Amino acid sequence: MWYIGRVPADGLVSQMRRGALEYCVMALMQQTPRYAFDLIDALAKTGMLTTEGTLYPLLSRLRRDGLVKTEWRESADGPPRRYYELTAEGRRALTGFKSEWTTFRGAVDAILQEAKKS
Amino acid sequence: MTAPHADQLIDGYLARICAAAHDFPAAARDELLDDMRSHIADARARDSQETDATILNILDRLGEPAVLVAEARERLGIKTQQPERPGLLEIAALVLLLFLWPAGVVLLWLSSQWKTRDKIIGSVFSLGGYPGISLIGLVLAGAGAGHGSRCITVRNAAGDVLQSSCSGTSVLDIIGSVAQTALVIVLFLLPVLTAAYLAIRLRRWHRLETIAA
Repeated sequence: MWYIGRVPADGLVSQMRRGALEYCVMALMQQTPRYAFDLIDALAKTGMLTTEGTLYPLLSRLRRDGLVKTEWRESADGPPRRYYELTAEGRRALTGFKSEWTTFRGAVDAILQEAKKS
Repeated sequence: MTAPHADQLIDGYLARICAAAHDFPAAARDELLDDMRSHIADARARDSQETDATILNILDRLGEPAVLVAEARERLGIKTQQPERPGLLEIAALVLLLFLWPAGVVLLWLSSQWKTRDKIIGSVFSLGGYPGISLIGLVLAGAGAGHGSRCITVRNAAGDVLQSSCSGTSVLDIIGSVAQTALVIVLFLLPVLTAAYLAIRLRRWHRLETIAA
């Protein structure tokens, strides 16, 4: 049994973060294709990504599942970069997650608020 | 400006990833390494005053190689190879290869501790083990019997040599007998050397798995 207050609750929180990270990464490439280092910068600011390198296996997985596609582009200052872009399937998955997440967050929030009042 | 030990630090880091991911499909491992190289290049491009500490920080933030490889394993569904310890089967294979060659070869090919290349080398160069070599030796001896020098020695009753004449002794014969001796030595050493080679290959294989674990 894990209690967030007593134990760092590594298992639960990191699993939640892990699961959500995939969709956060996809959300970041919603507007424009991005390269990994750029995504890492964006994620680091939010504290979603503690070990930068773990983003790469995640991106490989998204690509293998057909949720993103990649393209090499020349960069002005260094070697070419691999850019990641959502596929149609990726967009569908993201839309699905957004509505699931909103429902989930609403339900948990409601229960937490309710518990506080009583 | 480039850090004085940049290449050493980066190569060492990539080598650790490579070792931890040694059982990955080649494509997955190459992709991971390419990603790491490109990340490091991007990160280095940001800092004009690069020191060894800059590189160490980049690698630190990137993460511990074992952690990254474990993450990749999980995300990409790559199963950990159960490191089988070399055991009785391998020892029996090596001993039998020397003294009961056919059984040794069967065990050699049954074991998963050697690569196919080593199994072929082991099967061929053990030359049938010592029974096999005795056979080869007999054949060679038979073939060699017709050659060589013939000497006639005349002795007196006390056994002192009175006269000794040899016919057919030539440089060729000397070379021949030297070659024959060398061949016999090589023949007798080969199975042992083959077994030793297999034992070394087995341990190297084992060491790699320890790094990955």
